[in-house]
Amino acid sequence: MSAVLTIVRAGPLTSIQDEGRFGMLRHGISASGPMDGGAFAQAGALAGGGRGGVEFTMAGLDIRLARGQCRVGFAGGDFTIRHNGAALDWPGAVTLAAGDMLAVTPGRWGNYGYLRFDADMDMAPVMGSIATNSRARLGGRVLQAGDEVALTGGSAAVPVRAGPEAQDDGPIRVAWGLHADLFSPELRQRFAAAEFVVSLRLDRMGVRLEDAGRVFADAAILSLASDAIVPGDIQILGDGTPIVLMRDHQPTGGYPRIATVISADLDRFAQLRPGTPVAFEPVSVEHARALLRSRRT
Amino acid sequence: MAGSSAPQTFPTPTIVPLGDRSLLVRFGTALTDAANRAAIALALALDREPIADVVEVVPNLVSVLLRYDPLVSPATIAGELRLRLFALGDAALATAHWTIPVIFDGPDRNEVAALLGLSAADFIAAHNAAPLRVLATGFAPGFVYCGLHADKLVLPRRTAVRSAVPVGSVLFAAGQTAIAATEMPTGWHVIGRTDFRNFDPQAEPPTRLGAGDSVAFEAVS
Repeated sequence: MSAVLTIVRAGPLTSIQDEGRFGMLRHGISASGPMDGGAFAQAGALAGGGRGGVEFTMAGLDIRLARGQCRVGFAGGDFTIRHNGAALDWPGAVTLAAGDMLAVTPGRWGNYGYLRFDADMDMAPVMGSIATNSRARLGGRVLQAGDEVALTGGSAAVPVRAGPEAQDDGPIRVAWGLHADLFSPELRQRFAAAEFVVSLRLDRMGVRLEDAGRVFADAAILSLASDAIVPGDIQILGDGTPIVLMRDHQPTGGYPRIATVISADLDRFAQLRPGTPVAFEPVSVEHARALLRSRRT
Repeated sequence: MAGSSAPQTFPTPTIVPLGDRSLLVRFGTALTDAANRAAIALALALDREPIADVVEVVPNLVSVLLRYDPLVSPATIAGELRLRLFALGDAALATAHWTIPVIFDGPDRNEVAALLGLSAADFIAAHNAAPLRVLATGFAPGFVYCGLHADKLVLPRRTAVRSAVPVGSVLFAAGQTAIAATEMPTGWHVIGRTDFRNFDPQAEPPTRLGAGDSVAFEAVS
């Protein structure tokens, strides 16, 4: 099976992703991969499991199937999707014939949505992955209007029906971070009690938070030896600005990190739109792992 | 200093969780020669004898990151780690020796030399006097930190950040020399450039220099 789709309209941060480019940290390369890994997997299950997918942002996305036929699965956040003008349920799946249009526009919530296909995205892996790393400008591809994307090969995987993920509106849970002990107990308490706001400055590398309560205004911490960063790390810049580091994070950094968003909540955090209030709740690593295990079953 | 082969005691490490999928074995909070040697030695030992369910081992300046299968208990991995740490010796760190030719004509060369109270020629000579060790790769693809220079060659970073320096820029700050393997922003002093390329995404592995390698910088014109 093969098909070619044309990108008719794309926002500036539309990219090709797969599960991620793991194992390359020692070469200075973070794994990238989807900002909302659960939604990416859900779209894949709905499509029938071809390699890779398209990640798009609140700007939405319009595509046309130039040639061939393919099944498309879509998920992530809440978007409005139209197939040749007819509205479909989100998340969901649809089979496209040559000439068909798929138009995605933003809905009530979420920053990232995914289109996946029943065929593989036809491109050479870079270091074992087709994920786009926006920071290192590696692999994959940033998609723009006019681009063509080829799909090739079939998938024996049977599409599954999946409902929308339950939305949990509670605080974002964190484990205390690498440098938590450099912050005073009072400051850690203020961090856990404070309400931050997702700022307009967010991308695949990190999400800056507005700190109206100026929790970290006076947190003078001397420069540190650069050390390993993991996705979800909350680092505090010299001026007190908190940044949650995301999938295209730099592999190491020297700013202090007070906490790390747990794996089970990182997708949910990635989907919070600018202007959304956010609070952080410290939990144990053991609890974080139990949540992750229950998510997978 | 790099090149020393005298046995030494490693700093006592702490094992801390980094999120719910990684452990960090940290030999200190400040960059010291001993902490860096220990991190490299542990990473090499874990490469030679991997711990089951550890999916990635990454040497950093003063620590080693172990990314594990999140379905496995980190307590099990920490237990295995303690056994490895107990047996950790200061085995020969240098796994490879490199000579890297550098044209020392960077825009900050004269300022750096002046700040150190040296002529440009004396600065270059002092910079190249002894081989350095690759302390770690980090920050950006193939970006290597080499060090540690003697105390008399220690300068802080620039206050102003350059938004982009070209591939091959040779950078100097904080008692270290680094090589930009990609175009990148930097607050380090640019002292020269090299044709040596440490990153090729099509190569396997994609970088050439590894933590613990010995690097001799050689002035060329």
